[in-house]
Amino acid sequence: MQLQYGQVLGYLPDFLIGACIALLIALVAFALGLLIGLGGASTLAYGPRPARLAVRCYVSFFANTPQLVQIFFLFFALPEFGVLLTPVQAVLIGMTLNAGAYLTEIQRAGFQSLPQAEIDATETLGFSRLQTVRHVIAPHIVKALYPSLSNHYIIMTLGTSMAAIFGVEELTARALNANAISFRSIEIFSLTALIYIGLTIIASVILYTFGRLMFRVKARVF
Amino acid sequence: MNAIDQLIAEAPRFFSYWNMMFLGQAALNTLMVSFLGCLIGYFVGFVIATLRLAEVLPVGPLRALFIGWTEAIRRIPFLVLLMCVFFGFQLSGAHQRLFVIALTAVALRMSALAAENIRAGYESVHRLQWEAAAALNIPPLQALFRIILPQAWRVILPPSTIHAVSMIKETSLVSQIGFLELTFAARMLNQRGFSALICFGTILILYFVISWSFAALGRYAERRLVTEARRHLQLPPAR
Repeated sequence: MQLQYGQVLGYLPDFLIGACIALLIALVAFALGLLIGLGGASTLAYGPRPARLAVRCYVSFFANTPQLVQIFFLFFALPEFGVLLTPVQAVLIGMTLNAGAYLTEIQRAGFQSLPQAEIDATETLGFSRLQTVRHVIAPHIVKALYPSLSNHYIIMTLGTSMAAIFGVEELTARALNANAISFRSIEIFSLTALIYIGLTIIASVILYTFGRLMFRVKARVF
Repeated sequence: MNAIDQLIAEAPRFFSYWNMMFLGQAALNTLMVSFLGCLIGYFVGFVIATLRLAEVLPVGPLRALFIGWTEAIRRIPFLVLLMCVFFGFQLSGAHQRLFVIALTAVALRMSALAAENIRAGYESVHRLQWEAAAALNIPPLQALFRIILPQAWRVILPPSTIHAVSMIKETSLVSQIGFLELTFAARMLNQRGFSALICFGTILILYFVISWSFAALGRYAERRLVTEARRHLQLPPAR
């Protein structure tokens, strides 16, 4: 048996569209997860006790169960309550809830890293609340959080491959389909792996350059 | 019928002895694959990370090969890696049991994560220590085991327990090649006519219990070892 990449290269444009879809799914879930995480982290920092407990339960449940099984649950068990989700909706909701848990944890660490002395100093200088956020808290938090947030975005891009199991037409699903048509399995999946490697390397470089130029963050991305 | 009523109605039938034995076997398979995979992966990762050190392997191109290997494996989604291993076994004509295929995939992924983690540990030790060891005519491997590793392991340990726990969760993808672990068992029970609510709900709880308890164990061990090391070095206890 020998490797024949000639047959498989015809699928390349199709795969690249799939890669864009994967990036898009990750972006939407990441953005929504970021909002959930912001809410969760601020609740953990300033909320009342029952709310803190609820957020902690949410985070430890979603961080300790596999994302795949969470989406299975959404996709197959919710119809019993009369909630029918399309594959894209199930994957997006599952990934968002999962990302929300991890991003709560990441942003909580960022909130904790705020230096209290600097906030006290702004009060002494007579800054308004908004000015404190604008000039002290926001720059500090962005700088502290940027590396771990961009890492998580790349991890989520890789995580979108499990959308294939539910029939969302992203890169891995297109690879599985092409495999079912051509039976050139190893060629197709090695090509898919190469696309994922290229995709994440490009994302790393872009995120690193952006962070370096905008926030002077020197940490390596993924 | 309401979903909750249905759940209560079928619960006695679902939680029968044989079903529980089946789920227990599946949970054991999940644990076996993830822990054996982590052990092998950590061993391979340790070798790779060590061979990446200029002091141990002074051949540039070979080191670049190892760096490229870890960088590549880390950036492939586990599902795609699994498919590559699965069809790679098929291509090589080695007919192996699904357990071996799943184990290979987990170990491969773990080796890259471990190599990255151990490299970070090595980098946390100052370069001058290597030079001091060389000046004292200590051979590189001895310097590694006697000087570098005793200082590096405190950086290596915490992420490695996190990796091991995350591997338990990632093995849920192994169900895609048909290996009987928790997720696959739930899908089988679902296909036998039990509602998805009870099947996936049960394994969600099982996964949570397993992964939460191992995470707690890891945190406990980490705290213990760090306080012990501090006492040994006669440092003041951590706040």
